[in-house]
Amino acid sequence: MARSFGGVNALAGATFDVPAGSITGLIGPNGAGKSTMIGVIAGAIRPQSGRVAFFGTDITGWAPHRVAQQGLIRTYQLSSEFGKMTVLENLLVAAPGQRGESVRGALLGRRYWWPEEADLISQARDVLARFGMSDKEDEYAANLSGGQKRLVEIMRGLMAQPKLLLLDEPLAGVNPTLARQILNYLSALRDAGVTIVMAEHDLGAVGRVCEPVVVMARGSVLASGSLTTLRARKEVQDAYFIG
Amino acid sequence: MSAATQFYIISLLVFAAVDLLAAYGLNLQFGVAGLLSFAFILFQSAGAYAASVTSLGPDTANGGFQHYILGSTLPFPLPLVCAALAGALLALPIGLVTLRRLRSDYQAIALLVMSIIATDLVTNDQHLLNGAAGLSLIPAPLQNRLALTQVGYQWLFVLFCIVVTAACYLVMRRLTKAPLGRAMRAMRDNEQAALSLGKNVVWLRIITFAVGGAMAGLSGGLLVEFVGAWAPSGWLYPETFVLFTAIIIGGTGNDVGVLAGVLLVPVVIAEATQFLPSIGRPGLIAALQWILIGVLLIVFLWLRPQGIFPERKRRFPSAEELSRGVPRRRLSIGASAALNGRQGAPRG
Repeated sequence: MARSFGGVNALAGATFDVPAGSITGLIGPNGAGKSTMIGVIAGAIRPQSGRVAFFGTDITGWAPHRVAQQGLIRTYQLSSEFGKMTVLENLLVAAPGQRGESVRGALLGRRYWWPEEADLISQARDVLARFGMSDKEDEYAANLSGGQKRLVEIMRGLMAQPKLLLLDEPLAGVNPTLARQILNYLSALRDAGVTIVMAEHDLGAVGRVCEPVVVMARGSVLASGSLTTLRARKEVQDAYFIG
Repeated sequence: MSAATQFYIISLLVFAAVDLLAAYGLNLQFGVAGLLSFAFILFQSAGAYAASVTSLGPDTANGGFQHYILGSTLPFPLPLVCAALAGALLALPIGLVTLRRLRSDYQAIALLVMSIIATDLVTNDQHLLNGAAGLSLIPAPLQNRLALTQVGYQWLFVLFCIVVTAACYLVMRRLTKAPLGRAMRAMRDNEQAALSLGKNVVWLRIITFAVGGAMAGLSGGLLVEFVGAWAPSGWLYPETFVLFTAIIIGGTGNDVGVLAGVLLVPVVIAEATQFLPSIGRPGLIAALQWILIGVLLIVFLWLRPQGIFPERKRRFPSAEELSRGVPRRRLSIGASAALNGRQGAPRG
């Protein structure tokens, strides 16, 4: 995979595989190209060369909404909640292929889309309960704390029925207790069959749930494997642990 | 009541209905979907011209004193259908050309420039839509078929405008109360996030522009059938901001707010000032109107950006209510339909 911005080679030949059903960690120093990689996979950034294959389909250069419709859902490094919508609405809007989202479906009226909507409301409430956010259901997302916004983003990703969740620093700015909870949720999700890729700086967290781990530096992949074996390798230490 | 007073009230009511129809179109685009539709007046103007040329007949009529394209005489209500279609079709060039790759603030500038270019084009090309002089003698629909007095006919037209506006409002509400409206609001709040959840924002924008544009186009058609004339001086770009001011003051994204804003800004401010005794130089009061509208806009954006009636929070029925069905009145908006209809489905 290659992509440069001006003279900066944000991605210079990075390549890796994500095993289905894994939580793959993406680590590396600042500027290693992790976020660019996520943007390229999700279709937000067009690569200059390279190929993104998702469960056998070549999705390179697809528009972001088409990538998402395939079941590849990303979150952002900076929280990207729908601020003037309630938490429950944030979750509801994420559900794919809703009947009332087409012009025809909307014009057919509530009778046509309400049964599905009622199901979605129940589903969304289940997700909220699992993340301990039930009491925030009617709160505007803009009024939440930073950590809660991260949760909304992950919950929203879940409502989108992902096959693969692409998380860009899901633990940034989250307190340690909540971070542990998030990691537990992610493990549970993996066990439920969702593949997860997470770019993360917190190596403790990465060590707890990620297997394999991909180390990036200067736009390419330095090494991959389990974090314990990676820690022992000199080039990884030089690039990342020392800087 | 004297005929003059009646005519004044009739005019006010027609203008109010027409402005309200346009304002609901703009609210869909700006308030719900977050599109900075700075060329909004073009939608209304396209509708007005479409209704004009499809009811005036070929431009050799009336001694050929005005020149325009596409002249024909379509029976009522086809000119109005053409007006709505013209507004909706304008969404295509506006949606595709300016909105695909531009960030929202640049989109706004591009649209403003489009509005100015359109005025220049129509003003300077005498043969397109009769240039700066504009079109006149546009017939009032069915007036010669209905055996009514002038005033009686005009009251009927008032009623017609109100019915059309109400009908359009109900259609628009179906769209915005449905999950479609929720997707539009998601696009407004964070376009990138909406994209990455699989929402086709280009399509959403085009729908929004087309539906809002059709409403504005229809409002233009109604207006021109009432006043009988239409010229570039009536749709200069500041007119867009009168409507923006109305919905911002009333409350973007709130239907009651839009109504209040329209009654306050284009109707009261523009009309009430006509009764002020003339002071200073001629034209001073008209200029003060614009200043007042601008000041109001700034004051509201500063002190109360959510408007007089802020957008309402949408609440959903509780789990028990969902499972057993609840009376309609127990639910607030967003889930205001109840589950106790036949088959447990809500009334639409």
